[in-house]
Amino acid sequence: MIDVIIVGAGPAGLSAANVCAKNGLKVKVVDEFMKAGGRLLGQLHEEPDGTWWNGIEEAKKLSEDAQELNVAVECGVSVHNIKQEKSYWKVYTTKGDFKTRALLLATGAAETSLPIPGWTLPGVMSIGAAQVMTNVHRVRVGERGVVIGINILSAAITRELQLAGIEVSSMYLPGKNIVTEDAAKPLSTMKSMLKVASLAPSKLIRLGSYFMKYESLQSLAVRFYPKNGMKVWGMPVHLRKAVLEIVGDKKVEGVKVAQVDVNGEPILSTEKFVPADFVCIAGGLYPLVELAAISGCPFQYIAELGGHVPVHNENMKTPIDGLYVAGNITGIESAKVAMKQGAVAGYSISMDLLKTDVNIEDQLQQAINHVKQTRNQATIQFHPDIHSGREKIHASFKNTLRTDI
Amino acid sequence: MRDHKTIICRCEEVSLEDLVRTAESYRCSSRELKLRTRAGMGQCGGRTCRALVDSITQKCTNDSTPHDIPLGYQAPIRPITFSIMGEKKDE
Repeated sequence: MIDVIIVGAGPAGLSAANVCAKNGLKVKVVDEFMKAGGRLLGQLHEEPDGTWWNGIEEAKKLSEDAQELNVAVECGVSVHNIKQEKSYWKVYTTKGDFKTRALLLATGAAETSLPIPGWTLPGVMSIGAAQVMTNVHRVRVGERGVVIGINILSAAITRELQLAGIEVSSMYLPGKNIVTEDAAKPLSTMKSMLKVASLAPSKLIRLGSYFMKYESLQSLAVRFYPKNGMKVWGMPVHLRKAVLEIVGDKKVEGVKVAQVDVNGEPILSTEKFVPADFVCIAGGLYPLVELAAISGCPFQYIAELGGHVPVHNENMKTPIDGLYVAGNITGIESAKVAMKQGAVAGYSISMDLLKTDVNIEDQLQQAINHVKQTRNQATIQFHPDIHSGREKIHASFKNTLRTDI
Repeated sequence: MRDHKTIICRCEEVSLEDLVRTAESYRCSSRELKLRTRAGMGQCGGRTCRALVDSITQKCTNDSTPHDIPLGYQAPIRPITFSIMGEKKDE
């Protein structure tokens, strides 16, 4: 019997593992990827204070601590099922089945796609895939590409591609259809970018800060948005152009781009072919909840958190005995928040399994405060109403317990 | 001339057009839409198209997103070999 199994060796999972191990628990971490670190492995950006956030270095620190603390971290292992038995969880993996007293799901997030004609051609990838190829595998994704989908994540990753010497010729909106329409509207896209703009570490912001505050100016800005886009890091960002189709015979050869009106509807006879040998699709992130769903844990749909999230409280406990969650499975936020949430889960599990130590309770409370502080100081807010999302999910935990009694 | 259809389910090659037509004519749930079109029933288990199928259902029926996950998950949640699934172990 293991004390704690953690699914996911990202910022949340590793932080939790290290806290548990420090408290003397026997910990095993499994991850599907061949390297520990999760989304940290892809991250490289400049903070507003001029320092750089290097995710690979952060992942290395966490992994080294884990090694020192004798945490068993196993990569290239998938969990395909979990079952709750009387006093333990059974975890079924592609490399054997294990019993554990506590189970922490730190499975992170997955990317949303933006389907437009031609998006299944070779050479089309999600923006996260381009990030992993570039920063982890050090493989050049192509010579000259375009990014479809304008949001905080795609702006940050496009910058990383540029830093790696890969040319991205433009960022466009997706062509509008029933599933892409939320990402295809110029005004709402502009608003969501501007909301993060005052905090985000870039020039996007400077262009935005002119019109930020006033609704009427925002619509005007969209109406008179320059035809050639606005340059961010030397690359045009097009809020008034959309990719209607990705074109190619056996692989990507380019994209068909048209100007769009303020509602995102294409304007006839403005279509133009833009050559490209790779295309990144950036539809945003949603919590990856498969294991929580088969555990029987109740869910809430909370748009501010990025979709369906398992019900949990501030201690990172679900209403199901011995089942905990941390990181992006609880809502889309930065890796820094995920690390702090991991620590909370670690203290929470330690307290429940060790029961006696009063000291841990104080540390747990401190860790919860750290999550809040980190959230308040976050440079990038994936959703501007993240606080209200967090309140909703914590309230739903209380309600779940109430209806059970 | 190439096919201008927008694929939603890559495994079963179900197009956006097919899904919208089905959703509009039957005004059905995500699950029924899945069963009628086979979207999400291929070898990846809906890992790419699940969210898209849900969003088509919601937009065609004008329902708000329910708190329960519309398309349920079943184990195994990853494609695994029969030998892994059927392995006998003494514990």
